[in-house]
Formats: sequence, C-alpha cells, structure tokens
Amino acid sequence: MLDSPPPTAVRRRLRQGRDRLATALITAGGIGVIAALLAIGLFLAVEVVPLFWPSGEASAIHAEALWGGGETAAEDATRHRWAPTATLTSGEAPRISLVPLAWGTLEAAAWALAIAVPLALGAAAHSSLFMSRRLRSRLKPTLELMEALPGVVVGFVAGLVLAPWVERHLAEVVACLVLLVPGLLLAGGLRSRLPARWREALPLGWAGLWLVPWLALVLAASVWLAPWLEALAFDGDLRRFLELRLGLDIAVRNALIVGAAMGFAVMPSIYALAEDALSGVPASLAEGAQALGATRWQTLWRVVLPAASPGIFSAVMIGAGRAVGETMIVLMASGNAALMTLNPLDGLRSLAATIAIELPEAGPGGVHYQLLLLAALALFVFTFLVNTLAELVRTRLRRRYRRLGGGS
Amino acid sequence: MSVVPFRRLIHWLLLIAFCVPLAQAQADDRDRGEAIVGTLGTMGSDTMAGLMLRWGEALVRRHPGIRLQLQASGSASAPPALVAGTTRLGPMSRPMSDAERHAFVARHGYPPRELTVARDALVVVVHRHNPLAGLGRRELDAVFSDTRRCGAPAAIRDWQALGVDWPEGRIRLHGRNAASGTQALFRRVALCSGLFRPAVNEHPGSAAVVAAVAEDPRSIGYAGLNHLTSGVKALAHRIDDGTLRAPDPEAVRRGEYALSRDLYLYLNVPPGEALPAPERAFLDLVLSPAGQAVVEELGFVALPEAQRRRQRRALALDDGG
Repeated sequence: MLDSPPPTAVRRRLRQGRDRLATALITAGGIGVIAALLAIGLFLAVEVVPLFWPSGEASAIHAEALWGGGETAAEDATRHRWAPTATLTSGEAPRISLVPLAWGTLEAAAWALAIAVPLALGAAAHSSLFMSRRLRSRLKPTLELMEALPGVVVGFVAGLVLAPWVERHLAEVVACLVLLVPGLLLAGGLRSRLPARWREALPLGWAGLWLVPWLALVLAASVWLAPWLEALAFDGDLRRFLELRLGLDIAVRNALIVGAAMGFAVMPSIYALAEDALSGVPASLAEGAQALGATRWQTLWRVVLPAASPGIFSAVMIGAGRAVGETMIVLMASGNAALMTLNPLDGLRSLAATIAIELPEAGPGGVHYQLLLLAALALFVFTFLVNTLAELVRTRLRRRYRRLGGGS
Repeated sequence: MSVVPFRRLIHWLLLIAFCVPLAQAQADDRDRGEAIVGTLGTMGSDTMAGLMLRWGEALVRRHPGIRLQLQASGSASAPPALVAGTTRLGPMSRPMSDAERHAFVARHGYPPRELTVARDALVVVVHRHNPLAGLGRRELDAVFSDTRRCGAPAAIRDWQALGVDWPEGRIRLHGRNAASGTQALFRRVALCSGLFRPAVNEHPGSAAVVAAVAEDPRSIGYAGLNHLTSGVKALAHRIDDGTLRAPDPEAVRRGEYALSRDLYLYLNVPPGEALPAPERAFLDLVLSPAGQAVVEELGFVALPEAQRRRQRRALALDDGG
C-alpha cells in the first residue's frame, strides 16, 4: 500500500478540477432555475396566444370581456361574471370576466396578511428583544414546524371543522376577539401594580408562558359573557342581527375563515424571516440607544425596527406571495363563490382555486383551457412583480440603513 | 371531502390495488370460461369511475385473461382519447357535443357508437329537518339563478319566500363546480339554461355538496342521486300541474323525474367490423342483469328492461341475459 501523499502539483490540479466542477454544477443549477422559470412563463404565454389571435375561424376574445364587464343582458344583474362553461359553448355573449377571481385572490391575501402580519411581527419583535433566550430557543423551532403543515391539512381543518364551528358560535368568537386586546392590556396594567416580589416571579422574558393561563381565563370569560353581549347589543341573535338588520350575507366558508387559515399558514415564514432580521441588528445599536436613555420600547420602535426594515419588508412580501399563490387552503376553506363584495363574512373565489378545480375538466386547446392558462399567467406575472418589487425595495432600504449596520 | 386531484389519485390507487390481485387471479382461474385475453382500456367520466371499476372487477372475475386500464379524468377527457385512438371505450356522463362528434367523424370517417348504460339523477337537497317537501322548476330557477329564464317573477333569496317558517333568513346555495356534467345538467333543466348566481358555493364533488348542506340548516344544494346521506333530505320535483315527483328509482327509470340523465359509453367501432373480444365481453356484462345490478348497488338507476334488450340486439350480443 502506497502511503506517500501525491506530489503537490497533482494535488493542486485535482483540487482545481474539483473546484471547477463545483462551479460548473452551481452555475448550471442557477441557469437551470432561470431557464425553467422563463420556460414556464413562455409556455403559458404561447398557450394563451390563440385566445387573442386565433388561427382558424374562431373569434378572438376581447380584452374587454376578460377585464371589463362584457355585454350584460337586461335580465342579468351581475356585471362581472365568470361563467365560461355556460356561455362559451351556447353561442351567448361570453361571460368570462377574470375580475371576480382576481378580486377573490387579492381579498383572501389581504385578509391573510391582515391577520398574519401583526401577529408575526409582534411575535418576532417580542422574541428577539424581550423574550428570555431559553424560551426563544424552544419557541422558534415550534413555530417553524407550523410551516411544515401542508396546505391541504390547514384547508381541511378550516373548511370542515373551523368554519361550521365559527358559524354556530359566532357571538363567542366575536366576544373573544373584542375582549382579547383589553384583556392583554389589563394583564400589563395589573403586573406593573403588583408588589415587586410578585413581579419578579413573572419576568417579562417569560411572558409568553405565564400569559397563557391568563389568556385562557380571558377567553373563558368572553365565552361566558357572549350570550349577554348578544342579548344586549344584537337583539339576542348576532347572526340574525347581521343578516336582517344590516343586510349582510353570511356564508359558512367566508373570507375571514380563509384569511385566518391562510394567515396561520403564512405566519411562520413571516415570523422566521422577521425574527432573523431583528436578531441581525447588532446588539451595539440597541445597547447604545439604551445607554443614551431610550426605553426598550423607544429602542425597538426608533432604532431596531428601522435597521431591520429591509428584512421585515421582504418577510411580509414573501408572505404576500405565498398568500396569493396558495391553492388548497382557499379551495377548501372558501365556498368558491365568485363574489365581489367587501363583506368579510361572504364567500370568495381565487384564481388558483379556479385553475385547480376547472383545469382537469376543460378540454386541452379549448377556449376554457386557454382562459385558465391565462389566469395562471396572470398569477405568475403577479407573483413575479411582487417578488421583484420586494427585492428592489429591500436593496434600496438596505443601502439606506447600511450605515447603521442593519440586518440583511 | 373529495377534491378533484385527490379523487383522481384515489382512482389511480384503486386501479393499482386492483391490478395486483389480478395477476394472481389470472394464474388460478385460467381454465374457467373461454379464454379471452387482452387489455381493456377506458378513459372518461369520473362520475362513472366507481361504476366502471365494479364492472371491470366483474369482467375480470369472468375472464381472468383481461387486463384493465381504467382512467377517469372527467367526461371531457373521453372524446379526445377516442379521437386519438388511445381507447375504444369512453364513458361519459353527458352526451357528446356536436363539436366532439365532428372531431371524431373527421378523424375516423364514421360516427362514434353511443350506448346508454345506466341512468342517473340529480337531487335537490336540504337539511334533514327542513319541512319543505318539493320545489318546481320556476322556484329552483328563482333560487339558484339571477337570470330567471324559467319565468319566475322575482328572485327568491329568503326561506320565507318559499313558504316555510323554520330555517329563517337567507338561503345559502351549494352546487357543483363549473365544467362538471352535474352542473351543466342542473343549469339546463332547472335554470332553463340561465346563469347561476355568483353566490352559489361551488364544490369539487357531490359528496362535498351533501356534507355542506347537512351541516347548515339554511342551505340548499344539488348533488348526484348516489351521494345522498341521512344528513340531508331530497326534495321532490313539482311538475306544472302541481304534483310532486320524488326522485325514486322507478320515476327516474320511467323518465318522470325531470332532473335525470343517461350515462353513456361511446365506442369506436368501424361499421361492419366486430368489436375486439375484451370490449365485447365488457359490453355483454354491462348490458346483462348482473351488470345492471351493479348499477343499482352503486346508487344509480338501472336501464329499463326494454332498452337494455334493444341495445343488446343492436350490438348482436347473444341473448344470454
């Protein structure tokens, strides 16, 4: 057995070769990803072309029909309508407006972000600045585990368990939401009034733990108070009050349920990215601010948050991208009714869910199929634009805050 | 909850799970019956997926030499497969459209052969405690559509307008997704080909419609007859003279229940030529009393006896059944 090392020249050649191979593989991977992305866009665009410039005797679809209202017959009260199967084959004026679907997509994403962003950013700020290190090291992996939950499971639970339950217990849910914030503020107020000995037993860094029983207490109290609240303010039946007095439609699977489920799904990724950004702010900055007399709150608000803002912004944008493209949660938790209302208790229908439901039954090459691919193209372009915008803003913000030594 | 991609996956799994014992069955049953060997491929309706699978199972029990390739991706997938010649049998839950028929003739030079193999019906379902007995076409149209082509004077949006006083408030609507044969049939018959209100919740399967209606007293929906559960109540259809027609199998078979449809098999068979043996054995089974018993077991409605015999004769199947 030869034990002597190879001559250095050979070894160097070997290492160079290995480096070159690795570089080639990485480059190929990068080019491959870009090429795949372009190919997807190109495929969608090519498939959609015959919609607007048909080759045979088929008539072109006017952009007006897709984005505008189309020709509305006198009998029909709905201006924007997605009814491709009903109107494309029967020789009627095509009613193929993508507007209600785009509206549903944006509405669902907006509610998801409205629920996820405050919670995720609050959690990130708390855990990076106030929480004890030990608790944080347990909490972070747990929250990241939430991200691994498949969308189908979240959608299933939201659509088949949560939605009917919320519908039956609407008053209790509303009472919980109304009393939650005052309950938390009350906890803070009470804690500051406690004798110092007690206060030490409830350290701020462990608030995430000792607040849990308090929260349970608040929720139990609001469930107990709900019937009184309902009797006092809503004539004894909240659902009836909303429907008959305010004229609101209430669907079992509605935009709020979708928002809650999708908010739950996008929260972990927003939290993880924002937490990293906040933790990446050099400790010297926060310490400097506090040494100059700033309170913790002022430090967070004026120093740490601006320094971490590029990372936080991209966290929110990535959450938005996921919320727009999410399919299964919307499909299962919304009723897929193509409505255009601002009422959060009414149903909605998203582009992605429509593609998932209708594409298998639309004949390839037909107008319906091309319309669905157009919807896919619209989604693709939209997420592409959101991500590009996020990247642009992020780099600009980062340049601005680099002087402070801010996070990525 | 059945969601289309998953249902499809389950169909595939069923298919695979089913092909494994086949190989064994082949080995020990070879001596029984005349030895028909070959592959039977079908492509089409997923409403009929369960039906095709059960027929296929029975066929293989009779003729262990036959291999099955049953694909169910929706009725719309049958005509392209028939035109391309990848399959000779296309199950469809709706008749072929003119365009699909033209494409077939343009390619093969003769029209596809149409067989009616079973009957199916749609039922309008409400919560099991709902006192409503039946609805006429005009009322259904006023409830489900906002075009009201059947001539109802005004839209019906509350349960009170239907004359019941228990579920109060807005009617919540549930139905199948666009592009399904079920929705197309309901639209044609109950809405006089009008358009659905956008507020109709669209579910990817009849089972999901039934589940949604069962959990909410204020809802109404339509679903395939074979998906009825004890959680919902099937409404009768009120015809013009005011009598109620319940969706029972006898009424569906006689064509008295308006919301019914035929289920078809389309065949690619050149005129003057005999069918290949596996296909022939399959049709023999489907149009036999045993095959029609499978139809009833799955909750569909068997063909009237006269129609079954007529189709057997037309296919020159020996009259064993």
